[in-house]
Amino acid sequence: MLKGHLDMIVLAALAAGPAHGYAVIEEIKRRSSGAFELPEGTIYPVLHRLEHAGLLAGRWTTADSGRRRRVYELTKRGKRELGERRAVWEQFSEAIAGLFKGSRSWQSPT
Amino acid sequence: MAEPDVIAAYVDRLARRLAFDPALSQRVRREAEDHLWEEVAADPSGGGPDAERRAVEKFGDPDALAAQFAVVSLARQARAVGMATIFGIAAVFVAMKARLTWYVATEYAAGQGGRLGEIVVSIDRYAFWLSIVVAIGGWVYIGTRRIPTALTSEYRRQIRRFVVLCLAGTGALIASVISDGVLTSLRLGGTRGSLDVLIPVVSMAIEVGCAGGLVRSIRGMARRATATGRVAPLE
Repeated sequence: MLKGHLDMIVLAALAAGPAHGYAVIEEIKRRSSGAFELPEGTIYPVLHRLEHAGLLAGRWTTADSGRRRRVYELTKRGKRELGERRAVWEQFSEAIAGLFKGSRSWQSPT
Repeated sequence: MAEPDVIAAYVDRLARRLAFDPALSQRVRREAEDHLWEEVAADPSGGGPDAERRAVEKFGDPDALAAQFAVVSLARQARAVGMATIFGIAAVFVAMKARLTWYVATEYAAGQGGRLGEIVVSIDRYAFWLSIVVAIGGWVYIGTRRIPTALTSEYRRQIRRFVVLCLAGTGALIASVISDGVLTSLRLGGTRGSLDVLIPVVSMAIEVGCAGGLVRSIRGMARRATATGRVAPLE
């Protein structure tokens, strides 16, 4: 299930501002309280794909360590896409929550 | 005996799997190295081979990662080929127009080829317009496909369709370039080498170069698709 939503998760993590891959992973862990367990390298093909799709823009910088580092940020299109996905997700999540609420009251009389 | 550098060995393996796309391989190597050293620096042990091993384990199986990168690489290559096809056709158009303008400017009215010339002009025109329509269709087609996280049979089919469209567009362009060649020879037939033939000859060379470049880029794309298939098994 996580795999199908990776794009949205990465876009959401980058909504806070530009970040490199490692920082994106850390942000995902922090905001999800460590709920998403995935091989950390998996984030990079997603970043590349989103950049290719024009949802992210990447640029090389030099870290304090002297290593070259690619920093990603949401493009205008990326922000719009995130907004759309968030709206769809909230609608979906509300609908599921409604279903669960209904099933709880149906089970409670027993 | 010195312990081998775990991170260096890992990124080497990952980069080797992506050797079919040197730019991607280099980029992935840099990003993975930076990530892994960050991870080691954040390790409570403060570093060392064990911390490196843990960082590499958390990063994931290099073969599985290479498979995911390969799909993005294929998509990038496909888009580049789509663009190259459109630019190639545009360059042929400019070369063709430059030659015709030169004929008008120099009032060059040597051999027109009669009935044969008319037939070849028709072939040229229809083949050229066909190449434009097919190339734009192919570019729009591949540009609107969603890039999957792994190589799926559906995406492979889409890439095949795109290659077929590119080949059809380039085939039509080659027919147009051959027609241009015939028309140019008919027009210049009998002319002894003079400066007047320089522009037509150079413009024809540009057309042939563009068509050849397109064939090369489509062949490269087909090779990349094969390489991707080897790195990324179908899901």
